[in-house]
Amino acid sequence: MTVSGFIIKNAFRNKRRAALCVLSVAMSLFLLVTLLVVLNEFTNPPEDAGASLRIAVRNKVSLANPLPVRQRAVIEKMAGIDGVTALTFFGGKYKNDENTFFAQFAMDPEKLTAVFGEAKMPADQLAAWIKDRTSVIVGYDTAQRYQLKIGDKFPLVGQIYPVDLDLTIAGIYRGTTDDRNVFFHQKYLDELLGDPGTVGMWWVKARSAEEVPGLIDRINAAFANTSAEVLAETERAFQMGFISMWANIKILIGSICSVVVFALVLVTASTMSMAVRERLRELSVLKALGFRRHELFAFILAESFGLAVVGLLLGGGGAWLLYNSLSASALTGGLFATLTVTPRILGTAALVATGLGVVSSLAPAWSIMRLSVVEGLKTLD
Amino acid sequence: MLPLFKYHLRSIFIRWRSTVATILGLALVIAVFVLVQSLAVGIEKASANSGDPRNLLITRQGALAETTSVITREQFNIIRYLPGLAQDNAGQPLASADVLLIINLPRREATGNANVMLRGVAPAGRALRPQVTLVEGRWFEPGRREAVASRRLAGRFANLQVGQKFKTGGVELTVVGLFDAARSAFDSELWIDADEARSAFDRPDYSSVLVRPENEAAAARIKAALEAERRLKVKAVREVDYYKEQTRTAGPIRWLGNGLAVVMSIGAMFAAMNTLYASVGARTREIGTLRVLGFRRRSILLGFLLEGGLLAGFGGALGCVFALPMHGYSTGTLGWETFSEIVFDFQITPILAAQAVAFAIVVGLLGSFLPALRAARLPVIASLKSV
Repeated sequence: MTVSGFIIKNAFRNKRRAALCVLSVAMSLFLLVTLLVVLNEFTNPPEDAGASLRIAVRNKVSLANPLPVRQRAVIEKMAGIDGVTALTFFGGKYKNDENTFFAQFAMDPEKLTAVFGEAKMPADQLAAWIKDRTSVIVGYDTAQRYQLKIGDKFPLVGQIYPVDLDLTIAGIYRGTTDDRNVFFHQKYLDELLGDPGTVGMWWVKARSAEEVPGLIDRINAAFANTSAEVLAETERAFQMGFISMWANIKILIGSICSVVVFALVLVTASTMSMAVRERLRELSVLKALGFRRHELFAFILAESFGLAVVGLLLGGGGAWLLYNSLSASALTGGLFATLTVTPRILGTAALVATGLGVVSSLAPAWSIMRLSVVEGLKTLD
Repeated sequence: MLPLFKYHLRSIFIRWRSTVATILGLALVIAVFVLVQSLAVGIEKASANSGDPRNLLITRQGALAETTSVITREQFNIIRYLPGLAQDNAGQPLASADVLLIINLPRREATGNANVMLRGVAPAGRALRPQVTLVEGRWFEPGRREAVASRRLAGRFANLQVGQKFKTGGVELTVVGLFDAARSAFDSELWIDADEARSAFDRPDYSSVLVRPENEAAAARIKAALEAERRLKVKAVREVDYYKEQTRTAGPIRWLGNGLAVVMSIGAMFAAMNTLYASVGARTREIGTLRVLGFRRRSILLGFLLEGGLLAGFGGALGCVFALPMHGYSTGTLGWETFSEIVFDFQITPILAAQAVAFAIVVGLLGSFLPALRAARLPVIASLKSV
């Protein structure tokens, strides 16, 4: 019998125990990967291709304060921009769905291609949307979720604004990092609200990356000391501002991850000690036959390492398969647009599994090293 | 049955190393469950602590929160002179029109910005909310660009201590005092004078009106009168009921806590099964002896279930103890209704602890069922012979 054969035979001599141990490791690693994925979605949202060129302009007081429409003309005249559109968060709910997780925005339809060029749809749908003031374009994920097709009614009940929208779907787009959002005409919203003369935000697309810092400064300066001072920032910085608002939830998820890891070590370590205690006599025989301490340690290490790796393959691999093959928005009821298992997360899980293999073999290895052969041969248990 | 109970209680501690590992593992699961759930409880408690049962809060019809409501000055004047409102010492009706603004402020230690709720409040508004008490400095004086902050908010954001100034939009406000709101939703707010807020932030209208009717009958009359007046398009709810509804943020947190608990407990269950299988294996002879002494199969099954349940009960209790130091610790996140930071505490209530221990025991019973079945099915003679 080869050494590796010996180790494998030993690891699975008690099949039930090995299976239970592997399963509990797999479960914990699955959870760890899931938590890291969620944390990653929170703190590191995916970036659109055009994100580096886009600038978000909001009221300096806060996002909840509107901006006057007269600012559009000022921004439009600035050199180095490809386009500017109003973008007003409507925050309504679709029919009576209390969990309306997709965002709804009012914007200037003719500016869609200039500012949000990633959103791809047939030209006739785009033209139809631009033409009809009460029409809406819906992201592919949202269309899937509610099984919508072109021509369907798409009613939105206002929760921030005191109006309800009676929209018709003109197109379905895809290609952005978040194909859940829906877009309708700013003009339609203005009309229902009785022309308040305000919009939520401005979104500006710069002509090139070099223009971006200068443009941000110029936009900020243009409205300094007016009644509606603005804060212009890159799309990335804007997203990060949202993340900062989540505050301590991030730390909470982070701490749960460490508790999971700790619980994992406990479970595996206890299984390994059980496995070793069960065969103290055999190990003493090996010792008596002339195997050295480090060789015995290597046997145990290899066994616990093997169990951890099988757990990793099941748990980490399972999570990877699950999140890559299933649509994230279907899985979470539309709460998350994507759930990406990044190589970094898999690397972390692998590192934990490796550490687990080593740490959980330490205590049993220690007891073998101290074991005197005679005593070991005498044990009955 | 009693000797059997003693036997199992003692057996738990014989193989103490794997027992401790199992108990600790389960305790960690329960600690996570309790901590996450205590956040949801904290949000709900902060909401439940807010409001006075005698007050009515009047907002625009369809508005989910005060922040998205609009009450014009004309509407306020109609509301203020409705018959049946209680009066203050000067003979003025107890009605406060508030302005709610969301402002973006830098956090302490420069870790980014977050939204904070700024409440413009009339003098009557302070009288209507006696739970808000000044703990440092003084109240603001109208017209002097002064603000008073919640003490707990001041601990989370930069420049909110007494004497410090912060800029928002084109306005610079000086903090002249700190208040404590008795762990209610007002602990997440900054207060300034209502009319000053309207002028400083260029707001023609108010957001909401808080009134104190003379008595229950008057409250019902005012509610009916406002709802009958179709042109006003406002709704009146009891202040306490309004805050009871403001707990949407707690929903996903509960969901997270339950999900985590289920997945982690499956892992812990496998671990407990391991321990118990090993323990059944090691006690084969003892089980055979018990059977010979006349204990029935179902007594053995019951005994091992009891052992698993007991083990898990210890784990659950220990988990609650692990989580306990966080009780009362203040934390914050984004509130879904207000779109601004809400400050609340970890709240570990006896009910939550009982739920956690019950959950642990269920996990223990499920995990010990198969090992217990195996113990009950052991053949008597063979098990007596085993070494």
